[in-house]
Amino acid sequence: MSAEGPAPLARLVAELSRLPGIGQRTAQRLAFHLLRAPDEEAAALAAAIRDVKEKVGLCEQCFNLSEGPLCRICADTSRDRATICVAEEPADVIAIERTHEYRGLYHVLGGALSPIDGVDAEDLKIAELLRRVEGGEVREVVLATNPTTTGEATALQIAELLRGKAAVTRLASGLPVGADLEHADEVTLGKALAGRRSLD
Amino acid sequence: MLVTAVEARPLRSLVDVRIELGAGIVSLIGPNGAGKTNFLEALYFALTGRSFRTSDRRDLIPFGGSLARVEAVVCDADGVERRLLASVSRAEGRRHLLDGSPADPATLARNRPPVVVFSPDRLALVKGPPAERRAHLDRFVAARWPSRSELRRRYGQALAQRNALVAQLAGGLGAATELDVWDAALAEAAAALAEARAAAVEELSAPFAEAAGELGLEGRAAIEYVPRAAGSAAEILVGLTERRDADLRLGRTSWGPHLDELKIASAGRSLRRYGSQGQQRAALLALLFAERDALLEARRAPPLLLLDDVMSELDPERRERLVERLDGAGQVLITTTTEESVPGRAKRSVVRMPIAVPHAAAA
Repeated sequence: MSAEGPAPLARLVAELSRLPGIGQRTAQRLAFHLLRAPDEEAAALAAAIRDVKEKVGLCEQCFNLSEGPLCRICADTSRDRATICVAEEPADVIAIERTHEYRGLYHVLGGALSPIDGVDAEDLKIAELLRRVEGGEVREVVLATNPTTTGEATALQIAELLRGKAAVTRLASGLPVGADLEHADEVTLGKALAGRRSLD
Repeated sequence: MLVTAVEARPLRSLVDVRIELGAGIVSLIGPNGAGKTNFLEALYFALTGRSFRTSDRRDLIPFGGSLARVEAVVCDADGVERRLLASVSRAEGRRHLLDGSPADPATLARNRPPVVVFSPDRLALVKGPPAERRAHLDRFVAARWPSRSELRRRYGQALAQRNALVAQLAGGLGAATELDVWDAALAEAAAALAEARAAAVEELSAPFAEAAGELGLEGRAAIEYVPRAAGSAAEILVGLTERRDADLRLGRTSWGPHLDELKIASAGRSLRRYGSQGQQRAALLALLFAERDALLEARRAPPLLLLDDVMSELDPERRERLVERLDGAGQVLITTTTEESVPGRAKRSVVRMPIAVPHAAAA
């Protein structure tokens, strides 16, 4: 037994502390919690972790997370197949889905262009997007990459590649709904002003 | 916004000092070594969490001590008081609190006046490399037009991405067409930044010339924005495309606002190269005054001015005019060694240093 306790416990603490947002102390607390928890509770967690790695893959069509070859959204025949929303990560799809406003399909790039991180167009699912659009039914592509330097550049690149093949739109940027104007930061407010629209 | 009190417990030579401050011009009078500059530094530290003399905040810890800690009381136009506390400790690092709780930099900045410092350490702004002047100009842009405050960062990010790609391409990795999108992104960010800098210098040039004249900078003094790349995003894109081959040979971006210069000249000669120490001091002061004027003119909050030892090199008439210029708006702290160098109207609010008795209030 070392200073960290029995070896399996030390190993669990070490593994947990590699998770994002989990420091050494929290890892230790979680490990002791699991140690004290009923066997079935700990086993359920272990099984869930194994399942997520074994069963969740990427959708063949849109590269969103999926349990089978096609994700739930691509398999849903009630969705509008003429519209594709392009997002950087699966988490962005979840955010847009929560709005219940969008009825089209998605395309997950798996990141954004970033030469600093060595990410170029070939590392993203851009060629796959072009093939989908060239397939014919798509009329509009909504670019929902992040409003960051890398997200904007990625949107610019895709818009260029899709020119003449489909209508390309970009998410608007502006004020958070329900918030007071006086609390908005100046940059966001400036963008909202620049992108103001007529109420006619 | 007004700073009404500062408590240093301790910072450098200030062991346990509380000084109350009034509005307008406050004169800090005391011999060398009395702690005047340390007091300005303490105030600056409480408001910004940084020092204008050192990048290592631990330098603020008194010799043999383990902690530096300063609190400032800031009173806004409605009379609401808030306390900003900055501390640095050898064991626990630094903290910057608003009313006792941690706050993000933007919140802290909203609850204090902007601060501008004149001290001999800041002469680098006039005689140092152009990067310092670009950074300074961009800070003025952010204070003058908050909605443009992200232009510098945005350009910097686009430039770093393009440079990374250029370096990869120079090393034989990838196709040059990958640059198209980054050229477009860089051109857009460059055009916006150059436009903001040009607008800033346009507002500053008249008040700069005027202040420089008052401070005795002989020959017509002028600031001039010398952009490396100006024009619309489309024009800059053309320029980047023309230089692409050269950039690929060099392995970096050789053209754009990251190479701009803010030229400070007198009688047509660059003060950076040819100015005397006295001329450079006057030019720095004139630039800071011009920025204050421009902010006042735009009805933005005037900065709190911390002027360390500006009187010593000015004759009585110029001291008088300097005080006249600063009187009436915002808060100004001026340090000086001799009573005689303080013009009459700057004597309404005087703090004598060193502070002998702890907690002695002076105003």
